[in-house]
Amino acid sequence: MEHEEFAEIAFFRAIQEAGARALLIGRRALVLLGLPVLTADYDFWIAIEDIAIFNDAAAKSDLHPTVEPDTARRRGRYVLKNDEHVDVLVARSVTTVDGIDVAFETVWPRRRTIALTPETELHIPHLDDLILTKRFAARPKDLEDVRLLTILKSASNT
Amino acid sequence: MTGRSTDIAAFANRELGLDDVRAYLEAPVSDDEREQTIALIQWFTRRYPTPLERLAYVRRAYARWRPNAS
Repeated sequence: MEHEEFAEIAFFRAIQEAGARALLIGRRALVLLGLPVLTADYDFWIAIEDIAIFNDAAAKSDLHPTVEPDTARRRGRYVLKNDEHVDVLVARSVTTVDGIDVAFETVWPRRRTIALTPETELHIPHLDDLILTKRFAARPKDLEDVRLLTILKSASNT
Repeated sequence: MTGRSTDIAAFANRELGLDDVRAYLEAPVSDDEREQTIALIQWFTRRYPTPLERLAYVRRAYARWRPNAS
């Protein structure tokens, strides 16, 4: 499957129809909020109990996990691949580089739902939680994204 | 990717130490940085008013960028 031909909406709709608790995180979430940043990959944080249904939904888009669910649970993350690359975080909680514990069960109820089409919705974390997910890694590009999101948040509050 | 773009990617993806992280997070946002970022958001959301259009833009932008990287 060529990158340009990837049926992005069908992928998101399959996740929705499967009922997987899945949050789009990473730079595509920033794009949805109005920040024009470049990214190649998809990043999701999913409920650890929902690995199987998430994988089944992704399989409809010919995306397949690189490891078995048990291994994914142990590692806390895995990848779905074809010509696309989907990073999946499955940890119950993750600690930011500066020591804040962020739990999926706390973030999920605060999620923001975004309608892509009348039939297709995506969930992203609340802006404050999205900022925290960007502090899971200590990479410069994530910290630059924290600054962008912080400015977006301050602009939203004015 | 070319050697140069690989180097850039490696630089952007390197892990920083905690002191560097704190420096990033605690550095104040200047008025100029804030104004430029807000102007960028306003341009992007006016040009691509729906989430679907924004996602499509990024796919196109990445597709344009990718051949240049190889």
